[in-house]
Amino acid sequence: MSAKNVLGIIFSNAYDEALPQLTALRTMGSIPFAARYRLIDFPLSNMVNSGITQVGVITKSNYRSLMDHIGTGKPWDLSRKREGMTLLPPYDTPGAGITIGKADALYGCIDYISDSKKEHVLLTDCNLICSMDYEKLIKAHAANDADVTIAYAKGTPAQLENGTELIMDESGRVSSTGLIDCYSGSTNYSIKVMVIRRTLLERLLHEAHSAKIVDLETLISKNVKHLKVYGYEEKGFVRVLSSLQSYYDISLELLKLENRKELFAAGRPVYTKVRDQVPAVYGIGANVKNSLIADGCHIYGEVENCILFRGVTVEKGAKIKNSIIMQDTFVGENSSLNCVIIDKAAVVKPNKTLCGDSNYPVYIGKGIVI
Amino acid sequence: MAVKPECIAMLLAGGQGSRLGILTKNIAKPAVPYGGKYRIIDFPLSNCVNSGIYTVGVLTQYQPLELNDYIGNGQPWDLDRANGGVHILSPYQQIKGTEWYKGTANAIYQNINFIERYDPEYVLILSGDHIYKMDYSKMLDFHKEKNADCTIAMLEVPWEEASRFGLMIVNDDGSISEFEEKPKNPRSNKASMGVYIFNWKKLRKYLIEDEAKEGSGNDFGHDVIPAMHSAGERMFAYQFDGYWKDVGTISSLWDANLDLLNPKVDLDLNDDSWRIYSRSPASPPHYVGADAVVENSMITEGCEINGKIDFSVLFANVTVEEGAEVKYSIVMPGTVIKKGAVVQYSIVAENAVIEEGAVVGESPENMEKIEDWGVAVIGNGVKIGKGAKIAPDTMTDSDVGGAE
Repeated sequence: MSAKNVLGIIFSNAYDEALPQLTALRTMGSIPFAARYRLIDFPLSNMVNSGITQVGVITKSNYRSLMDHIGTGKPWDLSRKREGMTLLPPYDTPGAGITIGKADALYGCIDYISDSKKEHVLLTDCNLICSMDYEKLIKAHAANDADVTIAYAKGTPAQLENGTELIMDESGRVSSTGLIDCYSGSTNYSIKVMVIRRTLLERLLHEAHSAKIVDLETLISKNVKHLKVYGYEEKGFVRVLSSLQSYYDISLELLKLENRKELFAAGRPVYTKVRDQVPAVYGIGANVKNSLIADGCHIYGEVENCILFRGVTVEKGAKIKNSIIMQDTFVGENSSLNCVIIDKAAVVKPNKTLCGDSNYPVYIGKGIVI
Repeated sequence: MAVKPECIAMLLAGGQGSRLGILTKNIAKPAVPYGGKYRIIDFPLSNCVNSGIYTVGVLTQYQPLELNDYIGNGQPWDLDRANGGVHILSPYQQIKGTEWYKGTANAIYQNINFIERYDPEYVLILSGDHIYKMDYSKMLDFHKEKNADCTIAMLEVPWEEASRFGLMIVNDDGSISEFEEKPKNPRSNKASMGVYIFNWKKLRKYLIEDEAKEGSGNDFGHDVIPAMHSAGERMFAYQFDGYWKDVGTISSLWDANLDLLNPKVDLDLNDDSWRIYSRSPASPPHYVGADAVVENSMITEGCEINGKIDFSVLFANVTVEEGAEVKYSIVMPGTVIKKGAVVQYSIVAENAVIEEGAVVGESPENMEKIEDWGVAVIGNGVKIGKGAKIAPDTMTDSDVGGAE
């Protein structure tokens, strides 16, 4: 079976509450990541690189920045007359509240799903960072003639609400799924990427709606016994964002070449909205070590173990270490920053000192002037 | 039928740029990379869009593959449009035979039908050879205000260089009284930038006349404009202030790139209101390693830097390994500079490999005779072997073996 016969669905808001600072003004999907991306770039690019041609992006709230970022889907080649990308805003019927779970959200766009006429649906969240070849997952799904295939990773799961582990037999068939209660030690934890037969999904969603089940995991878990549910192991660089701390740690993991090689693998480009900025400019006296730098930066000071997003200015004498500085932020002369995460377009005036700890990075909000 | 625009642009992009040698062996001059992420043609294309001109014909002839591919549907410049947009115009077969574009004027003559489809009031003629930011809409305002038939953009050049340009002697009201083509003893320092606005109906008439004329070179500067001038048409010079550079030679291309590192040079590419657009390669942010030293340089996406970079411009996906040194150089996309190699005062084209310990180029201070110094150029995909030495002022177009 080919990926062309699969509808992609991305939940842009899932787990927003895990990173309240970064999602205060935006969706999970539009959180800036890795110096020039937004989180949604990863699932969107993965879908395109895997040959999926129709993608629905489900939103719930605060999606202005997401719309601004994905536009008509052009950077991903998903701006099409037929198929392509569709933004699916919340569908609010009188008497119904705002959607609260993924099953609920899917029910709201059930017409879009059935109109796609695709054989299967691939669902993913945005807090998952990996370069994943969905085609392999789809092939495994077809080879097993499965109803549902859930991707999982081996290891210690991120601490998230609804963390699910898969119990499988030798053939990889899932006999039960359970909520993870212990976050130490290795397990096969679901990374919440799932392929499901479309007609089955529609049926389950109708059932869930009448039974008032809003959560997709619960829905699958309830039906696991009488469905053919398989697990699919995703190896390699797989990270799940679950808190500000994990955002910080995972970001800095990209300073290692082997991680970058996996996330930005040759032949699997990660696409994003182009900003048309000048290459980064390094001035006389600039001193940059072990850092990722985006275009549009102007660096005249010291930068070490950092991630600098597009359009960041580091003035002379400023020292930034172990920090993540988002787009268009200005760091004034002789300021000193260590272990901070600064959101977009903030200003650190000259001679300021801010210091967090690598186990407790300080977060500075969007547009704040210090 | 297309919606009628007031002004359309015709961009002459067929030039070989023969003085750029091996850099234009397989690509036309307007496709030559510049400034870390641009190609020369990004400048006139972005200027058009920023000036509100959304119909652009790009005339290609010499090695058009890469240029056509680069322009594509014009999306990076917002020129993928239902009305107008960018159109690639190549020479084509006609009932009377097949003709290449014989000269700049002939290229436009052969595309009269294209222009007629839009039936504009004015036509802006541009070349794809220059680096500059210019608001053509102001020039058009000037053209209309003067009720001109032809307006030529001009720039005051240093007197000592004036004899290299086509010059104009301008009256107080801005009208042009005389033209001088590369005179020995210049009487003016007002040089033509090769940017013209014509009333289309007038231009059409002169193009047809010029084509019929025996022995005409079918060139704007040599034939059409002098003919209009001697016929007494209203010719005006529009003064442009700002950075403008013809990157026609290796040394001017090298200079123009390094100009970007000089804060005193009046070419601000950070200006949000006048962005220069380009086709982006979708590479990750660049990485600067723990032992790298980067100063006074421009580096763009996809680069992995572990060596020393000084006064250089690095394009996308360049790798500089530990202990390698790059100074006063331009390194184009995809090139790898291996451990301990030195690249200095050089232009290295795309996807070249400089093996360990190789030395490319030389600093002018180390030359016995300064006349012998020049920028070293390494061609597309060329491999320079381990420990090899490449002399200054040379062009290397095939692999060089290692020095044992």
